[in-house]
Amino acid sequence: MQRLKIRPITIYGLNTALTFIITFLIFSIFTPDHLFLDPRNLASMAKLTPDIGVVALGIGILMIAGEFDLSIASIIPFCSYIFTQFIMNGMDPLLAFILIFPIGATFGLINGLLVVSTGLPSFIITLSTMLFWKGLLFGLSRMMPISILKYVSDTPIEKILTGQIGPVPIQIIWFGIFAVILGLLLHQTKFGNWIYATGSNQEAARAMGINVRMVKTVCYMIIGVLCAWAAVMQAVRLGSFAATQGIGFELKTIAAVVVGGTALTGGVGSMLGIVLGIFIIRIVENGLILLKAPVFGVEMFIGVAVVIFVLLNSFVNRRLVRLNS
Amino acid sequence: MMKKYGLLFLSVLMVLSMLLAACQQPTEQAAEGGEAAAGGKPGEGMYFRLVTHGGDDPFWAVVQQGMRDACDELGCQADIDLAGGDLADQQKAFEEAVASKPDGIAVVINDNTAWDKPVSDGLAAGIPIIGINNDDTEGSSGNDRLGYIGQSERRAGFMMAHKVFSEAQAAGVDLGGAHVAMFAEVPGAAYAQVRSAGVKDAMEMFGITSFELADAGGLEMTTVESRMTDYLVAHPETTFLLGAGGICTDRLTSALKAAGKEPNEVWAAGFDAAPGTVEGMKEGYVTASIDQQQYLQGYMAVYVLYLYNKYGLMPNIDTGGYLITKDNLGLIEELSGTYR
Repeated sequence: MQRLKIRPITIYGLNTALTFIITFLIFSIFTPDHLFLDPRNLASMAKLTPDIGVVALGIGILMIAGEFDLSIASIIPFCSYIFTQFIMNGMDPLLAFILIFPIGATFGLINGLLVVSTGLPSFIITLSTMLFWKGLLFGLSRMMPISILKYVSDTPIEKILTGQIGPVPIQIIWFGIFAVILGLLLHQTKFGNWIYATGSNQEAARAMGINVRMVKTVCYMIIGVLCAWAAVMQAVRLGSFAATQGIGFELKTIAAVVVGGTALTGGVGSMLGIVLGIFIIRIVENGLILLKAPVFGVEMFIGVAVVIFVLLNSFVNRRLVRLNS
Repeated sequence: MMKKYGLLFLSVLMVLSMLLAACQQPTEQAAEGGEAAAGGKPGEGMYFRLVTHGGDDPFWAVVQQGMRDACDELGCQADIDLAGGDLADQQKAFEEAVASKPDGIAVVINDNTAWDKPVSDGLAAGIPIIGINNDDTEGSSGNDRLGYIGQSERRAGFMMAHKVFSEAQAAGVDLGGAHVAMFAEVPGAAYAQVRSAGVKDAMEMFGITSFELADAGGLEMTTVESRMTDYLVAHPETTFLLGAGGICTDRLTSALKAAGKEPNEVWAAGFDAAPGTVEGMKEGYVTASIDQQQYLQGYMAVYVLYLYNKYGLMPNIDTGGYLITKDNLGLIEELSGTYR
């Protein structure tokens, strides 16, 4: 089989890095009293961004493979609900946490099998599974919040998922670890090449002997595992299961990944870009509020920012590709 | 071959969904069973419908509990429609309810004009109709419904704000220069607008002039928490941080901690008794919260419709304004999710 050229991170990540640095500097300089750099602000971002960020890493990989997953908005609360039920029925929280991963992977496996076997657009399939799991969760939980504080307070699971190492919230460290692992998978392995090939030209990839069905299904399973992690991490921090966990993540993750330079059509993107895209979106929202923009309708500014970043990304991308060739 | 299996898989999922829906039916209609079969109950043979905009919200499970308990006591039957926030779906459910010719309908009047004609038509068809949970802002002069059972949102907002302003004043806070920030999950929605109007009433009473109704960014808790934290860091002048709904109130404590605030450094209050609110109250971060006692909205709806059929009685009932503080928190915790 012909070895595919690994996309150099220097092309597809650096343009986003430039955007990230500019955004970071703008808000660092112009927020009153440089509040953006206030330790409280940085700690808050480091603690809260990984809730969506961890899942967005997987969404980025899937989009490079040319598919979407909207069902994360239901898989996250469903995993949280199952984790809650496990511990309320006497299971050790650490064991429940470990068991939730195969369950998350199974949610992903179902998505993957449905997408590759029906041939229907993943947008429609995962929209359907999102509604299906949401309905089932509604039936089971009656959408009641469930407090889990007494089960997780002062336990190893709390320290592992929501503790601090010095002044640094552990959530951001886990996020970094996931980003490195998935970055290595995407950029340094044969499987990573298969992901790019599948997203670039599915037929050509198939002709080269790549099992595109397997590639896509594994990508969905990776998302399932990341959803399981995010679900438990968030539930432990909130101290409760909430049926509204993950609401809106399905579109916010796509926005972050696209800002990070990933093409909606697949085949283009990088882990560095995805990570920076996640932070750019968060920094814009945070920075605007610190600049005392009206919090009533801050989405309007974020919407404009997303379009500007994507245009900027495309422009820089074209220039870099031209220079490269 | 794979495509065939995929379609088969989809079919199995659809069948599972239908089975689930079938399983849920008895839950929604649980009010039909129970002691009614034993006979001798005063409401036997009566059938009521509750048409609501409820859905992905624990709130409505408690309303259903109230409805079921009243049906068990009276021996009547009732169903609840949870239209899920879509006005067109709710109106369709209402039309279906009218067509089923029940002995009464309780409907959530969540729009000032959209419910005028359906309610009038239903009444003209001889069906007693009352409002629950939400009413026309002009009350009986804005809609023909026979009566209303629910929280007076403006009064609830006033009571919550009055309590927290009083506590702050007693602690020596200068209210003249105070700033009030109220976060709402859906700031444009009626609940947020009317509750914030109640807060402004209380502000006027205490001479507070600075107020901002802020968008918490929806129902997702991390978004809500990060917006509140960012706001607190950017607005150190904030004296009061209020939640307009249960989710915002749940996140008050975490946001205050993340912004480096000590209990009562910024005074906080809101609505409902979600787990985060309860913990915040125990730790001293949240001063008060309002319970609108939605159990009564389901329970009293059945009783009022029964009494109207039996004796022509039609009261208006304000179920709200139950103030939760750390003094009565134990009772709320014990009954949360079933009766509170």
